[in-house]
Amino acid sequence: MITKTTDMLRAGWGFAGPGLTMLAIVMGLPVLYAAAISLSSMTLIHPELNITGFGNFVTIMSEPLFWNSLGITLRYSAATVLGEFVVGLGIALMLRRVIVMRGVYFAVLTLPMAMSPVAVALIWRMLLQPNLGIVNQTLAGLGLPMIDWLGNSDLALKTMIFIDIWQQTSFVILLLSAGLASLPRDPYEAAEVDGAAPLQQFWYITLPLLRPVAMIAVVIQLINEFRTYDLIYILTKGGPGISTELLSFFAYKRAFQGLALNEGSAAAFILLLIVLLITVVFFFLLERRKS
Amino acid sequence: MTKTFFPVTLGLAVSLVGGTALADEVTLHALMEDVPETNIIEKMLPEFERETGIKVEFEKVGYGDMHDKLVAQLVGGQSYYNLLEVDFLWAGEFPAAGWLEDLKPYAEKTGFDMSAFIPSTMDLMGNTKDTMPLVPMYNYSMGLIYRTDLLNAPDLKAAYKSETGQELEPPKTLEAYVRVAKFMKAHGKVNGAAMQGQKGDPNAMEFSNYLFSAGGDYLDVDGKVVLASKAGETALRLYKDAINNAAQTGALSATLDDTMRLMCAGEAFSMVTYWWMLPQIDNAESCPNVAGKVALSVMPGGHGESGGWGWGIAKNVPAEEKDAAWKFITWVQSTDVAVARAMEGHAPVRADVYVNSDVLAKYAFYKDAMAVVESGKSFPIFTYSAQYEDTLGTQVSLAASGDVTVTDALQAAASGLTDLMNK
Repeated sequence: MITKTTDMLRAGWGFAGPGLTMLAIVMGLPVLYAAAISLSSMTLIHPELNITGFGNFVTIMSEPLFWNSLGITLRYSAATVLGEFVVGLGIALMLRRVIVMRGVYFAVLTLPMAMSPVAVALIWRMLLQPNLGIVNQTLAGLGLPMIDWLGNSDLALKTMIFIDIWQQTSFVILLLSAGLASLPRDPYEAAEVDGAAPLQQFWYITLPLLRPVAMIAVVIQLINEFRTYDLIYILTKGGPGISTELLSFFAYKRAFQGLALNEGSAAAFILLLIVLLITVVFFFLLERRKS
Repeated sequence: MTKTFFPVTLGLAVSLVGGTALADEVTLHALMEDVPETNIIEKMLPEFERETGIKVEFEKVGYGDMHDKLVAQLVGGQSYYNLLEVDFLWAGEFPAAGWLEDLKPYAEKTGFDMSAFIPSTMDLMGNTKDTMPLVPMYNYSMGLIYRTDLLNAPDLKAAYKSETGQELEPPKTLEAYVRVAKFMKAHGKVNGAAMQGQKGDPNAMEFSNYLFSAGGDYLDVDGKVVLASKAGETALRLYKDAINNAAQTGALSATLDDTMRLMCAGEAFSMVTYWWMLPQIDNAESCPNVAGKVALSVMPGGHGESGGWGWGIAKNVPAEEKDAAWKFITWVQSTDVAVARAMEGHAPVRADVYVNSDVLAKYAFYKDAMAVVESGKSFPIFTYSAQYEDTLGTQVSLAASGDVTVTDALQAAASGLTDLMNK
């Protein structure tokens, strides 16, 4: 019995070993190296790796710009994920009833997800160009005032959120559609026999059963949104002023414009910790519901 | 035996000779910005290779990718890029990090005459009488491009006279320029100024022109920060005024491309931009609405922002590659090659090219361009220039959008400069 267990353990490690080793090399080492940089005095001007402690974290966290970026990141992530979920769920529910040309709808709706964020940003940059862009030209044609979509500090973040929702909702649609397709029919049949209205069925059956898939969709999208960088880089460079400066962009600027790899890594690590914390909390909630 | 001995010996001899030849062959690798200047030089490379036997390979990328790619090579054991194209904004950082060869001894050893280079272009590269980290490559100083047809339109002239009591003419001060630009927006059926207000490089460069035009500066002769001066305040106040009352909708998110498109479409009276944009706008094929109706001048007030690229040689490459790189630099910046480049649209850094009769016959406006280059003042060049662009750009953007006052933004920009210079 003992030999059998030991053999199984060995076999398990044998199968998992190559994958774990690859993960350790490809992901573990860079993360450890970044951690070491964040605790060091390494800059692009002085690239020696001398460990100095948590000073870089203190420096970063004592700056109002960092807290501004963190606040914007939280607002941006919450708004985009909420928007993606609501729109994604609505479209997934509608697609559930579609029978004819279902594949075509899915293909069209998946297109934005297949596009690179840089391409998406460039397309929207042209569409929203204040003077010559098609959106403002259409508004002008209708006799409406032209809108400064990305140059107005009150509007720029909202515009970015809209563009992000436009691109990322496809992924939520796919995930929720798969979740909806796998729901059992029995509870619905029972509810119909009991005379439950469609809205009641949605609220008391669909949503609770869909919760695990929905939570996974939310976690994945939250991770994605916290890391958003490309859209900001192409569309606003964090401006006007600091109104769209997300934490990822703050970290990039610190590392490559400020030449302070150590402080940039520290900012990136704070971002990683936040994402990690959110992921752990979500999975904890998910497991607790299961149990 | 003889039958096998001969081919083997021949093979050995050929491989020996071939091996020596390969060892002697030096290839220069340069990371270049993907712009017309690079293409002009690239077309001439076969000529250099024929003359010297040195092969040159250009890897062309966008500006945004250059700094990080270069730095990754320069901090390593041996750089892949031995010939360097360096923006003036990095002319403080690269020498401070010890990544560049001092080219002064090379110039002295080979007798390369640096006196033909326009002094402002030399200063821009951080060159002093003791060291020369970079040789100027091409220039992108900024001036004012404006519409002559609008300025000379009789109805607009009359309206301006009755509104202001002054003649409508090319502005001589920054205040006059903003006044004319606002007037054009109100009465000329065009935007008064096509402005690149996106924070960072676009608005920092644009604001610098306003600052120098208003008589302000970033540093005094002793290197003390003097940005938060009366002139600085005037410059930022007028910049804000221009963004809000003379510029196009969306100026705060606009970049160079946006302003270029607007000017080209005939929808703007003026733009503060790089002088070599003039031939692109004054082009009947690409910009038929404005071709023949535009002129270039030095920024009102007498000074605009200087800008330029330089050639450098990486320190962490073998000596023979350094020598080959210097040979290339002296060739590409020689009078003959610089004139040949200018005939294709190059923005020269040598005074003798601007007054060359062939060049002037083809591009008469090079006379005005030289004035722009000569009068240009530099953005502060130090280790953290690139970061300062962002710091300044943020404050200018905040002031222009009305999120902070002009005085507070200027104070923050000045203290940001002091902090970075003391870092």
